[in-house]
Amino acid sequence: MNAPLSSFSKSSLASLILLIGSVSWALLGAGLQVLATLQLLVPSLAYLLPIPWIGYGHLAPLTTFLFTYGWITSGFLGVLLILIPRISGIPFRYGKLLTSAALLWQIAVLIGVAEIIWNGATGLVSLPFSRSVTCLFLASFLILGTGLTRGLGRSWKSGPLLPRLYLLAALLALPLGLGTAEVLLRGGLAPGALQIIAQLVWHSFLHHLWLTPLALVLLFQLLPTLTGRPVGSLSLGLLAWGATIGLGGWIGMSLASEGPVPSWLQSAGVVATILLGVAVWGNGTLLKPLLDGKIEECRRQVALRFLAVSLWSYFVSYAWLAFLAIPGIRQATTFTVVAQATQSLLLFSFYGNALAGAIYALLPASRTVGWPRHPALTIHFWFSTLGIASVASCYAIAGILQGLALNDPGVPMSTIASYLRPFLSIVLAGQIAWWIGQLAFSTLFFATLLKLFNSVAPVAIFPLPRDESAPSLNPAHH
Amino acid sequence: MKSTQSLVLVFLALLFAWAGQVALGFFQVGKLEPILNEETNYTVPPVPSGLAQTGSRVFASQGCLECHSLSVRGPTGSADLARGWGPRRTVPRDYLFREPAWIGASRIGPDLSNIGIRLADANELMLHIWNPRLKKASSTCPPHPWLFDLKVAGPTIEKDALPVPSKEWKQVLPTYQAKALVAYLQSLHSDYSLPEAPLK
Repeated sequence: MNAPLSSFSKSSLASLILLIGSVSWALLGAGLQVLATLQLLVPSLAYLLPIPWIGYGHLAPLTTFLFTYGWITSGFLGVLLILIPRISGIPFRYGKLLTSAALLWQIAVLIGVAEIIWNGATGLVSLPFSRSVTCLFLASFLILGTGLTRGLGRSWKSGPLLPRLYLLAALLALPLGLGTAEVLLRGGLAPGALQIIAQLVWHSFLHHLWLTPLALVLLFQLLPTLTGRPVGSLSLGLLAWGATIGLGGWIGMSLASEGPVPSWLQSAGVVATILLGVAVWGNGTLLKPLLDGKIEECRRQVALRFLAVSLWSYFVSYAWLAFLAIPGIRQATTFTVVAQATQSLLLFSFYGNALAGAIYALLPASRTVGWPRHPALTIHFWFSTLGIASVASCYAIAGILQGLALNDPGVPMSTIASYLRPFLSIVLAGQIAWWIGQLAFSTLFFATLLKLFNSVAPVAIFPLPRDESAPSLNPAHH
Repeated sequence: MKSTQSLVLVFLALLFAWAGQVALGFFQVGKLEPILNEETNYTVPPVPSGLAQTGSRVFASQGCLECHSLSVRGPTGSADLARGWGPRRTVPRDYLFREPAWIGASRIGPDLSNIGIRLADANELMLHIWNPRLKKASSTCPPHPWLFDLKVAGPTIEKDALPVPSKEWKQVLPTYQAKALVAYLQSLHSDYSLPEAPLK
């Protein structure tokens, strides 16, 4: 990561486009998410303002799309374009091609948003957009992925192995999963119930073989760098990697309870979800010691704190998934809002915090900019963290109550909806808090890019109380 | 571990996940065929009409799947049958002619696998789509007025017009999309017996 910055300038515009897109889509998605929850909380709003595209049915798939493809995927690709040439020492070539691919990804997201607003979603799980958007995503990824693979392949033996292995898996999983899902689901090759199986497999690939490995790339690369400690056992890491890659594609089947999915596939999904605990345990055993005794550093360093929260969220997310896969609990919680709790934990807490930590750690290296010691850093961390915690916990409790009520035929549906209302109020407050956190982050991000702050440091440090304010902080430049 | 070894391992793991689920799934549910009902001489599940196929797109585009599921479970471990959401559990063969096939995400509202039985009357379905609170004041389902045209009433009311109080002499007429959506909802029923899921 210490190669001269000028060598990497060819990818910096591409990564900048992806990161600006990511931050902007997150802000838009957060606003629309608040509007969607408001519709669910106060159904009468739909009667006062009957506009199709601001209805819950339009906004719910739209926000999921924005967060998954716009915010997280775009952001991960952006930070990887900064990270990979630095860890491999091989600068990207064909900068204009990478920039075009980054722009193409943003155009694909924009077209996807326009499609869902005007025509509504397709109803397919994790594939709410049309075939043309898939083609744009795949074309963009072909260029970006090739660039990343080039940096990866030629430097295989020159650095830590685990981040490279996770990156390799993710880079293969996205085109394989998205391409085949598109062909099977819209190419007429999957008849009837097989379509549902194909949707659930693609859902697994997207989350557990694309986004989770990418988040693990960032954790395995950045935590040792920021803490100055190496990862312990490579054998354990390889075991965890093998378990993640081997089992990740099967998890989606545990989302189906009876219905159109054969029972052996559902059982396989349950077993895979519970066995994935091996991977989480292995990765936890390797990564947790890096943070032991580093409380003071976590308190001060913004990137380290976000990455630490991401690591804990990784454990909690997969423990939660394993809990939901337990027979009995699975039957009770299928078709409830626990799915939103899982989404909050994975997308916002695990992937989102890994992305935020990576941006704080890597942006200065890419753009020769620094971070100010500004209260917005504290606002970003606390509002995001408390927001996500309240959203995930409320959805989890509400979902379990909803499941229990759905399994009691004496409870009318309107009563179940009224059970959800108090929880939805807290969820709404949590989502507004998260939005404020993102607003603070995007303000910092754009102000930093535009170099609007007088005093900055290459490492983002939380502002401490006045008496502790650090004279040791090194302003990098003005 | 060498890069080529890793590449092969990853590829095999991903292929195993795809092949294990989709290919084996294909042999189990992808080759199902309709069953001939010898009493009626019709095959089941019934093939939906072209209008119903169009309606399935409208159903998805309106985001109905965000609140309604399309899968009846039971009889053990679920109260779906006791709630009257269907005469039997849903099985893979029920999705044979549903394209795209969905199961839905959440149950903020009731399951709709058998809405064609529970609410068979097209006018009632149309009224529900126009304004769900006309029949049930506490409904959390949103209205869909954009699926209807407001047209000044002539000397006679058109036969498609909804029986709702007119405002400014305007009658409420369903658009093609509304008619397609109703046709799709009417096509959702599993009141036929299958070898793997007989009617009791």
